Amino acid sequence: MGNIIALHSYKGGTGKTLLSINLAATYAKRNRNICLLDLDFRAPSLHAAFKAEGNGYWLNDYLNGTCDIKKVLVELNPLHKESGRLFVGLANPTTEAIREMSARDRKWEMRALGRLLSLKTSLFNEMHLDHIVFDTSPGLQYSSINAIVSADVVLVISSLDASDINGTQRMTQELYDLFEKKTGIIINKVPAGTLSTISKKEELLEKLRSVHNLPIIDAIPCFCDILEAGGTYIFAEEKPEHTFTKILNQIATKIEKF
Amino acid sequence: MELGVVRLNRPYILLSSVDTLYNWRKLMTAYRRPQKSPIPVLERIRESLDRLNEKMDVVIEIQRHGQRNSQSIPDVLDVMTLLSLPDHLRKTAVTLCKVGQATADEIAKQTKRARAVESGYLNQLVLMGYVKKERRGRKAYFYVEKES
Repeated sequence: MGNIIALHSYKGGTGKTLLSINLAATYAKRNRNICLLDLDFRAPSLHAAFKAEGNGYWLNDYLNGTCDIKKVLVELNPLHKESGRLFVGLANPTTEAIREMSARDRKWEMRALGRLLSLKTSLFNEMHLDHIVFDTSPGLQYSSINAIVSADVVLVISSLDASDINGTQRMTQELYDLFEKKTGIIINKVPAGTLSTISKKEELLEKLRSVHNLPIIDAIPCFCDILEAGGTYIFAEEKPEHTFTKILNQIATKIEKF
Repeated sequence: MELGVVRLNRPYILLSSVDTLYNWRKLMTAYRRPQKSPIPVLERIRESLDRLNEKMDVVIEIQRHGQRNSQSIPDVLDVMTLLSLPDHLRKTAVTLCKVGQATADEIAKQTKRARAVESGYLNQLVLMGYVKKERRGRKAYFYVEKES
C-alpha cells in the first residue's frame, strides 16, 4: 500500500501549495499514480493552479458525507506518455463554502477525520495509487490536524524566519510527536547566498537539525522566476532543467526512502 | 451443621458435613474426566478475567473522577480531544478511529500492546464518554461512532 504525505507549516506563505503541486507532478513523471488533495478549506488554491473547475463535487462534499471520493477527483491530462495518473481533489473556493467550513462543530470535525482516515483504504486499494499528497492549511486548525492524523509522512515547510522556526519547534513537540508521525522538514525560500557553497549549505542544515531534532530533507533557495511565474505553470513539468525541479527530484527520492 | 461451598463455574453447590466427602469425591471425579480440549475452558477463564478487569477499571475510574454521571452528554473524540489525551490512551483512540470499530484484540494487534492492556484503555475511553461499547455474543466491540 502507498503512503499519504501531508505538507504542513506553522505559518502561511511558506510554499506548501507550490511544493505539493510540484511534488505530485514529480512523482507522476516517475510513472507513479498520484492523488493531490486540497485540504486548505480556508484558502483553496488548487483549482486556480490547475485551472480546473471541478466536476460539481468538492472535497467539502466528501467530508460532509454527501458524495463518494471518486466523484470529487478530477484526472489531469499527462504531459508525458510515460507519466503515471494524476488526480486532484479540489476544495470549494466560494466565500460561502469557506464560511461554512470555518463554522463546523466538533462532531462534524470528528466525522471528517473518520472520512479522511478511510481514504487510505478506498483510494489505495481501489484506484491503485502510489501516493496521496495533502496540501493542508497552516497552523493548528481542525482541517490541518485531521490531515496530519490521517497522513503517514508529514513534511513541514518552514522558512528561516525566527517566528517560523520557533513555531515549527513547538508543533514538533506538541503535534507531530504526539501522533508519532514520520516528520521531515523542508526549508524553503532560503536566501541564495546562504546556499552558495556546499559547505555553507551543510552548515545551515546541521544547525537546523540540532534546532528541530528532526531530519532536514532539503533547503530550497528563493527563486525569482518562480515568483515571476505566479503559479501559472508547473515547474516540475515544464522546466525539467530548472534547479528547483532538480531539488524537487531529490526530495521526492528522499521521501520514498523515508 | 457445617456447610462447605464450592464454586466451579456453576451454581453454588452446598455440601453438608455428613455427605461432604462423598459428594466432593463425586464432584472431583466428574471434573477430572478428560475434557475434549483444555482451550475452551481456558478461553472461558480468560473471558471471565477480562470482565473482572473491566469492572475493576470502572471502579478505579469512579474513584478517580467521582461518581459517574449517567446523564452527562458524551464528549466528542475529535483531534483536539486526541491531543489532550495522555499518550497511552491517544494511541488506542487513534487506532480505533482508523479502524472504525474493533475488539480489544484487534486494537492490540495494531498497537503491538497486550490485549488486556488495550481492553483496560478502551474501557477507560468508554467511561470518559469518547468511545461506545457493544457486546455481541461473547465479544465486546468498541467504536467511536456508528456510520449511519
